[in-house]
Amino acid sequence: MSVSRRDFLKAAGITSLAAAAGCAAPPASAVAEKARVVIVGGGYGGATAARYIRMLDPAIGVVLVEPDAQFVSCPLSNMVLGGFRSMGDITRPYTVLERRYGVRVAHDRASAVDASKREVRLAGGEALKYDRVIVSAGIDFMFDEMPAMGTPEAAGRVLHAWKAGPQTAALRRQIEAMRDGGVFVISIPEMPYRCPPGPYERACQVAAYFQRAKPRSKVLILDANGDVTSKGALFKKAWSELYGGMIEYHPNSKAVDVDIATRTVKLELEDVKGDVLNVIPPMKAANVANPFITANGRWCEVDWLTYESKVAPGVHVLGDSLQIAPVMPKSASMANGHGKTCAHAVVALLSGAAPNEAPTLLNTCYSMVSDTLAIHVASVHKYDPAGRTMRAVPGAGGLSAEMNEREGLLATNWALNTWADALG
Amino acid sequence: MSNSWVMSRCAVLALCLGAGGAIAQPSPLPAPTFAPPNLSPRGVEALAAGCAICHGPAGHPAPGSQLGPLAGRSARDIVEAMSAFKMGQRPATVMHQISKGYSEAEIEAMARWFASQGRAR
Repeated sequence: MSVSRRDFLKAAGITSLAAAAGCAAPPASAVAEKARVVIVGGGYGGATAARYIRMLDPAIGVVLVEPDAQFVSCPLSNMVLGGFRSMGDITRPYTVLERRYGVRVAHDRASAVDASKREVRLAGGEALKYDRVIVSAGIDFMFDEMPAMGTPEAAGRVLHAWKAGPQTAALRRQIEAMRDGGVFVISIPEMPYRCPPGPYERACQVAAYFQRAKPRSKVLILDANGDVTSKGALFKKAWSELYGGMIEYHPNSKAVDVDIATRTVKLELEDVKGDVLNVIPPMKAANVANPFITANGRWCEVDWLTYESKVAPGVHVLGDSLQIAPVMPKSASMANGHGKTCAHAVVALLSGAAPNEAPTLLNTCYSMVSDTLAIHVASVHKYDPAGRTMRAVPGAGGLSAEMNEREGLLATNWALNTWADALG
Repeated sequence: MSNSWVMSRCAVLALCLGAGGAIAQPSPLPAPTFAPPNLSPRGVEALAAGCAICHGPAGHPAPGSQLGPLAGRSARDIVEAMSAFKMGQRPATVMHQISKGYSEAEIEAMARWFASQGRAR
């Protein structure tokens, strides 16, 4: 760690924020900070929460803890696998959040959130004190349910690419290096998992690449679920109309382990070999959120008005780590909405005001079924006080009538605007 | 302890029998009842913030957007467009579905909020 980084973290954690090295001084750093919010995770949920808190109340200091130097989007990352987008296309900097909104970004990994001491400990050794903490750290994998995927042997050889970044680029290289006539195998875990339509979109993207570059190749989908979990009819139509027999779908095919050396997915009753394996293991709330897991040993339950944990006052949890409300997907749209609702609630609570008692969440998920054609699923969710949960508004939302080019453009439109909403 | 075990076994049996001996189905959720909308200034701001995922922060489209700005458009324009989307009278890919998630009062309040945002970012 450089000296300026140390100074920065010291400033962010212990002394005045105004002294932070390397940050253009935002207006708020000149005034006394009335409260500090630490946000763990700079993805769709955490970055959005950071920007909105600073917009709603510049007297609240925000420290965003994010190990990655830049934001890399999971939405659109399947197009990198198809060869229709570059990693640069899905990467955005955190610098606007820092310079324009006065968010302090600590590029480090949060090793623990200590609710009793009200501090977030960083891998680098520092501790950041907070008045409220927002944990938006996404998911981690349950390697105990798929042991080989957690071993060093798997690293770089059998990838999940379910967190956009180096694995996305590495999986693209594997697909490019594959022989024509080879088989790409994608293994999907049982619901719930991050981005329900994502694996089916990925199958389309890989097939679109094969069609152009390796036309004798196949995409084999091994789905632990009994049927396609999202946009099923639309995906199946795309598979048959766009890709002929290239995509083969196997429901009720739960992977229990992988043989890395022989590139074999082990199902409950049979083994399936492939040339490139893309195995998405079962997942849970991010490990840093472990103390706040209350549902099935996997997910975190919250109060839907504030996103405050049911077991830890002062700790808010967002995004894919959550135990979902009925029919709420683990999506980037949702995480962005959680971030905004939580930001409003945290700003109200830190001012002694009541949180909004009628939050609304809007979900629009696009899937690219080729280089230009897309489909969507949309829903509107509002707070139901009797059930103390978010419920979909009956009659609102729905699916695309059919795959089309206009929605292909709107998928990128969604990404550009949501990135701007999260990152400035 | 054994009592509660017996009780839970009875409950499971009853559920199975109730479903004609087939696998017990979870009961469907009751119809939702939503909180009355919050049309305070902060409530409307939070409501309108949902639109940002496609229309940009505060109705200002990001560079490269497919859609024109909501910011600075007349409130009447926005209300008329949303009503037409709701009634299926305006071509749409997704807005005919999303518009049905908002009441007339919510749409009017959001339209006034977008109208009051300056055209410039």
